[in-house]
Amino acid sequence: MSFLLRRLSFYFTAFLIAISFNFMLPRMMPGDPIDALFAAAQGKMDPAQMDAVREMYGFVDGNVFEQYLSYMQSVFTLDLGPSVLMFPIDVTTVVGMSLPWTMFLALGSLIVALILGVTIGTYSSYRREGFFGQFVPPFLAFISNFPYIVTALLLFYFFGLQLELLPLAYTYDPAIDPGFTLEFIGSVAKHAVLPMGSMILVGIATWVFNMRNAMINVLGEDYVTMAEAKGLSSYRVMYRYAGRNAILPVATAIAMAIGFSFAGSIMTEVVFNYQGLGNILLKGIMARDYPLIQAILLILVSAVLTANFVADLLYVWLDPRISK
Amino acid sequence: MKEALLEINNLCVDYVSANGVARAVNNVSLTIAPGETLGIAGESGCGKSTLAFAITRLHKAPALISEGEIIYNGRDVLKMSDKELRDFRWNDVSIVFQSAMNSLNPVITIGEQLTDVIVAHKRISFKQAAVKAKELLGIVGIHGDRLKSFPHQLSGGMRQRVVIAIALALEPKLIIMDEPTTALDVVVEREILNELYDLKEKFGFSILFISHDLSLMGEIADRIGVMYAGNLIEIGDAKTVFSKPSHPYTKGLIASFPTIHGPKERLYGIPGDPVNLLRLPSGCNFQDRCADCMDICKKDDPLLIELNVDYHAACHKL
Repeated sequence: MSFLLRRLSFYFTAFLIAISFNFMLPRMMPGDPIDALFAAAQGKMDPAQMDAVREMYGFVDGNVFEQYLSYMQSVFTLDLGPSVLMFPIDVTTVVGMSLPWTMFLALGSLIVALILGVTIGTYSSYRREGFFGQFVPPFLAFISNFPYIVTALLLFYFFGLQLELLPLAYTYDPAIDPGFTLEFIGSVAKHAVLPMGSMILVGIATWVFNMRNAMINVLGEDYVTMAEAKGLSSYRVMYRYAGRNAILPVATAIAMAIGFSFAGSIMTEVVFNYQGLGNILLKGIMARDYPLIQAILLILVSAVLTANFVADLLYVWLDPRISK
Repeated sequence: MKEALLEINNLCVDYVSANGVARAVNNVSLTIAPGETLGIAGESGCGKSTLAFAITRLHKAPALISEGEIIYNGRDVLKMSDKELRDFRWNDVSIVFQSAMNSLNPVITIGEQLTDVIVAHKRISFKQAAVKAKELLGIVGIHGDRLKSFPHQLSGGMRQRVVIAIALALEPKLIIMDEPTTALDVVVEREILNELYDLKEKFGFSILFISHDLSLMGEIADRIGVMYAGNLIEIGDAKTVFSKPSHPYTKGLIASFPTIHGPKERLYGIPGDPVNLLRLPSGCNFQDRCADCMDICKKDDPLLIELNVDYHAACHKL
């Protein structure tokens, strides 16, 4: 229990530091959105009008410290103000619409890559003299060493443009009404194949090799030899005795991978025009939409920290020696 | 002599490496009778553990059994299919490994490590197996509530007791003990050996006891075999091996132990280093370290000769 509290306070501190950076970052960029708006209006706005707009977006009142306080307040009340880009829609609403898609993409691809990678890694290390162990890991290493953008564009080109098997953009067919219908779910799945597939393809080798290396260490341990001597089935020796231990270092790596997966999904969303946070973030940055950028960074930070916390809990559950 | 429980005939185990083939076990033949304790002694790297592992085919690549046969109760272990081998392991021959610290899986409860072997070999449920597991823990003097403990929650001696309980789980006829008490302090070592003896009385299993500690072995073994560079160089009843050894290497080994009683003497050690298995000399493997080396020792391999009933040694001097 005290372990839980310690971890929770750690994550809370990390969260405070992260959102403080969140506040500083956009303010370090040159210009502000009203200037951008003014430039876009090409002189058709008078200064009084601009001040009104500024005030409306919460940019003028007080010095940086006062802005920081009101920012903190808005963070904890989740009242992040209207978006500049999609005025007058609330930033919270904009983020709320696209967040589920990013979670789906980032976590979904991570989980699939993890399960596949760990299984392949376990099997290929246990049978490392065989064809599978000799051939599959190097092949996956080869695939994943392409820069992500190349893999994504190749998939995009072959399956989307040439073969026309899979859709090239959007999270689902805009002609279909969202809802719990077979048609809608099918459309979502179909639209997710390429973006998710590309992320899995790039990510899987990490897990294969993480797991394989950990397994090769564990397989030399006496308790694995003893499990074999006990005449247990090779399935049980492989997964319960060796895999169970080998997964510990892999579980640590999960925490780090969650952050990378969210970052990776930004690129994926842009390539496949997937309507997630990454796509919106890019648009927000182009329009210098500070409230929107901050909201998205805030969400990403929270998501990554939460996921890390879950990974921590997972580790405690996996390794009984930790919990003290 | 009684019908042998385990019979090893001309067993050779090779380690295949890029630098050549190292023969870790060379032409070893021995038998273990039911209820007997056979000790195998020798310095590190002499092949005693390799021999023990080979008996249940636990040796891993690059080790390879190149010749010989291992007959257990009339069945050739080397000819068993994978399934037969799985049934044979632990049911007939169980193993207590060198260090109990490492032979229990740290993230699995000892209860599961005890019950899974029972369930794997017998047609009973986990629940019934748990009852049996509790009983087994009781036999080695550990409270049944410890089933839910993880290995790190037990002391070293308790862990070794758990390992012994696991070894007894299926009441095998032969237990191979590969330096079972090396990692323990002498007090715990004594306790465990005493318990082991009581258990042996009770269950009547045979023990193949592997150790470098000849004095310990002189005490608990019925017969002792001594290995050097993969060869069995002397084997016979424990008393004679310990008090009147025939082979110069055995003499050297016994002389390297300090005596507690009597005047202080300078300890005798065996000069030189163990031979490199990749570059064995022609003739006797012990020639470079032997004080009584003769011309013939550099030419011919000494063979095991029968010195007495059930007493063999391999030296040209004999």
